[in-house]
Amino acid sequence: MALVGAVVALAGATVLPFVELRPNRLVPGAMHGFAAAGPWAFAVWALVAMGFTAAFLRGVKARLVAGSVSAIGIVAALSWALGSAADTLLAGQAPVSRVSMGAGVWVMLAGAAILGFAGQERTHRVLWRLVAAAVVLVALFGAFHLGGLERISLVREFEVRASSFWGLLGNHLALASAGVGLGVMFGVPLGLLATRNRRARGVVLGVTGVIQTVPSLALLGLLIVPLSALSQAVPALRAIGVHGIGAAPGLVALTLYALLPVVRNTYVGLSGVDPAAVDAGLGMGMSRGQLLMRVEFPLALPLIIEGVRTASVLLIGITTLTAFAGARNLGVLIIEGLGQFAPDLILLGALPTIMLAVAADSALSAVGRAVTPEGVRT
Amino acid sequence: MIRLEGVTRRYGEKTAVDELSFEVAEGEVCVLIGPSGCGKTTTLRMINRLIEPTGGRILIEGRDIMSLPVEELRRGLGYVIQSIGLFPHLTVAGNISVVPRLLGWDKARMAARADELLRLVGLPPEAYRDKYPRQLSGGEAQRVGVARALAADPPVLLMDEPFGAVDPLNRERLQTEFARIQRELRKTVIFVTHDIDEAIRLADKIAIMRDGKLQQFASPEELLNHPANKFVHDFVGADRALKRLVRVKVSDVMRSPATVFANAGEIGFREAAGRRRFTYVLEPDGRLLGWIDTHDLDQGLSAEEAITLVDAGEASVGPDTSLRDALSRMLGLGFRSIAVTDDGCRLIGEVTFSSVEAAMAEGDEHIAAPAEADAG
Ligand SMILES: Nc1ncnc2c1ncn2[C@@H]1O[C@H](COP(=O)(O)OP(=O)(O)OP(=O)(O)O)[C@@H](O)[C@H]1O
Ligand SMILES: [Mg+2]
Repeated sequence: MALVGAVVALAGATVLPFVELRPNRLVPGAMHGFAAAGPWAFAVWALVAMGFTAAFLRGVKARLVAGSVSAIGIVAALSWALGSAADTLLAGQAPVSRVSMGAGVWVMLAGAAILGFAGQERTHRVLWRLVAAAVVLVALFGAFHLGGLERISLVREFEVRASSFWGLLGNHLALASAGVGLGVMFGVPLGLLATRNRRARGVVLGVTGVIQTVPSLALLGLLIVPLSALSQAVPALRAIGVHGIGAAPGLVALTLYALLPVVRNTYVGLSGVDPAAVDAGLGMGMSRGQLLMRVEFPLALPLIIEGVRTASVLLIGITTLTAFAGARNLGVLIIEGLGQFAPDLILLGALPTIMLAVAADSALSAVGRAVTPEGVRT
Repeated sequence: MIRLEGVTRRYGEKTAVDELSFEVAEGEVCVLIGPSGCGKTTTLRMINRLIEPTGGRILIEGRDIMSLPVEELRRGLGYVIQSIGLFPHLTVAGNISVVPRLLGWDKARMAARADELLRLVGLPPEAYRDKYPRQLSGGEAQRVGVARALAADPPVLLMDEPFGAVDPLNRERLQTEFARIQRELRKTVIFVTHDIDEAIRLADKIAIMRDGKLQQFASPEELLNHPANKFVHDFVGADRALKRLVRVKVSDVMRSPATVFANAGEIGFREAAGRRRFTYVLEPDGRLLGWIDTHDLDQGLSAEEAITLVDAGEASVGPDTSLRDALSRMLGLGFRSIAVTDDGCRLIGEVTFSSVEAAMAEGDEHIAAPAEADAG
């Protein structure tokens, strides 16, 4: 795996265009190779070489350390390389000209990700991850304030939107979390129902499965009409902000999408509990409720959390689409970027969305591990 | 104590248990036995209401179980299920403490009880209390299952093939331990098995079933001596005489052998032997040292040389050993008799081939009949 990562990173650092110098934020410009990064290019190359050696080291631990150091180093050095390229290329240009990241940057980041994650399956050392995150953050911070990274087009887009960006991000997180929360609130009882009642199982699993197949945009569109009608008919709902347009249809759609992973994992988790354990529990005089709380839920919890994790990653992505129905979140930036053909504005919406999803993913993985009872850990 | 009256369970057309009636007295071990699918598990699970009978009724201490709150009923009936069913997310101690926790015991009491029970089933608490079920062997898990069923000291134990998943050697160990524990605790036990040897070894009463119907309900001796019908006859098997020996304890038939102390010298040895060829030789404190063959003395060996030293653990049996085990030990060693020693290796008697023969032939007189002894 490390070899694949190193090859990918090498491709990014050599043949692919590194940055694009454009006369202004909307029109295309000239591509520049990695040489534009100046001396920082050598640093990145050295780190890629380290990634190659990681693939051929003998010890598992040595391989892991070399791979991780190389991955983190590439990301850190890349931020300085970008800044340096922006400084060089923008010298003497008009203030409206922009330097955007090219394919090489993304490919190098992908290579670093592969290098970094190869072997991570074996270690879930939280400390190690925190150190990695800290190193990358410090490098980014430094490159930003000293290394010219703030002149990159993406950052300029952010500066223009700085006043609304954090609000959109907060909304995004709130809407996705609310969808996951409601999905759990309805999904866990539905999953439980599916394990308890054979007829309910068919209906519950069938319906949640079908919902998942409805395209997100279509579902949002379909929700606008009934929600408008509802809001018209019930003033109380209107008072708490339920309209055909805005967050309400988005929230309903997100909740529906969260149902499938939550319901299915709850069902699989609960029905996977050893029937002998259930039998023993009942035979010893546990009530159904005691059995559920003391035996079935603790054993099913890791799988339920796994469902919540899937739902969270899914919903953080889909939330961007709710902007089409009038919800204000990171999706707004993407839609505007699309409308203006401004690729860096699209990135400004997309990158934080991806980062939120990745963060939610690792946070909930950690929660899943924490709630796995010691006796059933593998 | 436990009384079944015409208990029936139907599944559609199929009758899993058919008009089953019998009664188990307090402190007795009743073994339910029969071929696979004859309704043993179904019967057991009707007693703790995991299955509702379609007919008849079950009384515990005179009260119809349907009139009791179901959870309360079950907490009074320790249940060891066929597939053990330990909770994988709880430690051994946690598993044992499930019912005490439901009953609201405090922590110290639960921990003390768990340790006590682990010791009872022969698992050192220090080594086992914090283990998880996946770290246990099949036999250890079975023991924990038994300990768990005993946790809140229920007067009744329902055990569904508790030693089913264990190899024959360990199974015999567990049976011996069960017999010991039962002597101590005197629970009323309903024990399911399809191993006739296990039934004969452990039961006060055996209920033998076929296709849901009771074939015979009797003590093991009665079952061996007077099988009620051909099915029971065949089920018990052709080696009935040998099986009878399982029920006879060495202490029931042993007699005092000729003994002599090791320092008695040749004259002393010959005197002690009298007309017999062999004499047991003891240490001054009564422990078994070996034996003397007078033929060796005749051949001119000195008194010391003539003593054949024995390892008391190898070449002797305990008073609670079954006659069948004693017999197989004799056959294995090629002796016509075997010494009986107590826990301290002190000689307390001897069992001879001829006394085994006698027990086999007219077995009934020697057979221990605890049920009848209790009643009298
Ligand atoms: N839920 C059920 N539905 C239909 N038939 C059943 C059900 N449970 C048990 N039976 C049938 O009832 C009969 C008795 O089953 P039971 O489990 O009591 O047998 P068993 O004597 O315990 O057998 P084994 O020694 O294999 O454990 C079997 O023929 C079985 O097929
Ligand atoms: Mg059974």
